Amino acid sequence: MSKRAIQLQLGIGAFAACLFLILYAIPYWISAPSNIRNIVLSPRFWPYAIAGLTGLVGLGMLFANRKPDEDDAPVNDPIEDPGAGLIRLAGMAVLMAVTFWLLPHIGMVWAAMLAFAALAFLVRTRHPKTALICALVVPLLLYGFFAHVAGVAIPQGDYVRLP
Amino acid sequence: MSMIDSIMAGLALVGNVEALVSLAIGIVIGVIGGAIPGISATMAVALTLPFTFPMQPINGILLLLGVYKGGIFGGSIPAILIKTPGTPASSATVLDGHPMAAKGEAGRALGMALWASCTADLISNLSLILLAGWLASFALSFGPPEFFALILFSLTIIAGVSGESLLRGALAALLGLLLATIGLDLVYGTNRFTFGHPNLMGGLNFIAVLIGLFAIPEVINMVWHPTGHMGKVQTLGNKWVTFAEYKRCFRSIVRGSFIGVFLGSIPGIGAAPAAFLSYSEARRKSPNKANFGKGEIEGVAASEAGNNGVAGATLIPLLALGVPGDVITAIIIGAFMVHGLQPGPMMFVMNVDIIYGLFIGLIFSSGLLFIVGGLAIRGFKPVADIPKRILMPIVLVLCIYGVFAVNNSIFDVAVMFVMGWVGFVMTRYHIPAAPFLIAFILGPLLEDNFRKSMLMSGGAPDILLRGPITWFFWALTLLAVVAIARGTLDKAREKS
Repeated sequence: MSKRAIQLQLGIGAFAACLFLILYAIPYWISAPSNIRNIVLSPRFWPYAIAGLTGLVGLGMLFANRKPDEDDAPVNDPIEDPGAGLIRLAGMAVLMAVTFWLLPHIGMVWAAMLAFAALAFLVRTRHPKTALICALVVPLLLYGFFAHVAGVAIPQGDYVRLP
Repeated sequence: MSMIDSIMAGLALVGNVEALVSLAIGIVIGVIGGAIPGISATMAVALTLPFTFPMQPINGILLLLGVYKGGIFGGSIPAILIKTPGTPASSATVLDGHPMAAKGEAGRALGMALWASCTADLISNLSLILLAGWLASFALSFGPPEFFALILFSLTIIAGVSGESLLRGALAALLGLLLATIGLDLVYGTNRFTFGHPNLMGGLNFIAVLIGLFAIPEVINMVWHPTGHMGKVQTLGNKWVTFAEYKRCFRSIVRGSFIGVFLGSIPGIGAAPAAFLSYSEARRKSPNKANFGKGEIEGVAASEAGNNGVAGATLIPLLALGVPGDVITAIIIGAFMVHGLQPGPMMFVMNVDIIYGLFIGLIFSSGLLFIVGGLAIRGFKPVADIPKRILMPIVLVLCIYGVFAVNNSIFDVAVMFVMGWVGFVMTRYHIPAAPFLIAFILGPLLEDNFRKSMLMSGGAPDILLRGPITWFFWALTLLAVVAIARGTLDKAREKS
């Protein structure tokens, strides 16, 4: 993506966000008492001000983008296979969702071990044995610190409980 | 309490092995974190924060300050060796440090970086001690309108200097301000974007947001491009810096330190501009002007003095006014809050022992940095050899434990994951994260002081201009806006 394309997308996005906030999100998702005498004291005033400024910044981006840029080179480092990159990103999203879901069920230590191993696999580590050892050791060490030194009630899950 | 009593109380807090060990461990973590490209001092501070929860407040804060100072110096190691600044603050060090490494003089460059860093750090700490108390006593007369004007000024500068584009910086700050509105309304207690979810009523957890924004995007970036970090490490060489070279560069180091102190004490400027300004001043004044950019040791000294001069000075607005000077002090403010401390003028009244304890600890930190930094220069190779594809899963697991530990809340882990994706998208769109985070912290303060002012005046806006202090900050805000607009216009003109 070139700088110009980024600026254009951000400008449109910011303006759309402004409209969404002003027309829908703020009126429906923020409750305000009906007897407020001064508008600046309303719980909606500040979000409206932020939304308005967001719209202005969006318009500013579109205005600043009106002239074609001579340098149309991509601003992000290219990767070899963007398709595979997107699949890995989707995998990461699934990994996070599954980790979040597993945390209360199997406990933080086991969920963290699985997350570690899955992530090492996802980034195609060249040291699978080291990754496996770290996947076992790191969550246990952190459990030891947080549960026994910091006194944090680390979720233990429904199956295997640690001392 | 007299000053002597305060110093004694501070000494009682830090005059023990535990405090000094915390500081030393912090510096070691910081140097390692700063030295590993992709970790950065910011991420190192964020990841260390949860480990301070069970510690005494003073030890926890000293640990984080150690990470901060170590991280700023540590960033110079990869900047010199592999042309990859470990922190944005070390970007200027690359200019002359890497050419020196290419000539086989990496050890000399790193030695000078260390000497300059420690000198600048000491000057910065002394400035903090001299200025913070004075500023805090002045700030005791601030009311809501004054604080509103001050925070508005801080936000203006942050948005203007935190990225390559002013508009993108402003967009990031607005997003931060918007997310800060989530939770119960400060005056009426009504719901704002909570969707009836009890976990959202207290707002988004600050630690979850900051770790999500700074650490998780690095993990996601690694997933997107697993081989993007490959680089070549230079050897240290046999030549080391001499005292004569240090003496030759001393003027540039002191000048750079004061540039760092001046820019660091203004909220939002940060270390990178200070390093570049110090570098350009050294270049302007040096008899070896032509050698700058080709491996001039004075260039390394000036840039490192500039960025380390900021480290103590950013604590001036943090401790005196409760306003973070940069993104790392924004994280450190979290440590104060977690330990039930509120930085600001009242802290100089209520917790003066902690303030003096921090001052004394910071003085020790310059000496410790010299020792740890010297060892780190020789020991960098094994640190750099930790495979990044092992490091990132460790970071992920650390983040999960750390964020959960703040409130014992699995919901916070979800917030961190979501913020990680927000941070990743921001990185791809080159939106700076620093204005977002600082606006997220300052947002509630800004709104709270604005609404308190309006309540005081019955809605009359003239209270926001009620006296010389507010006029001063409004004038500064105006000047900042004009300077930013001028800079942007000049840049646009240069382009066309």
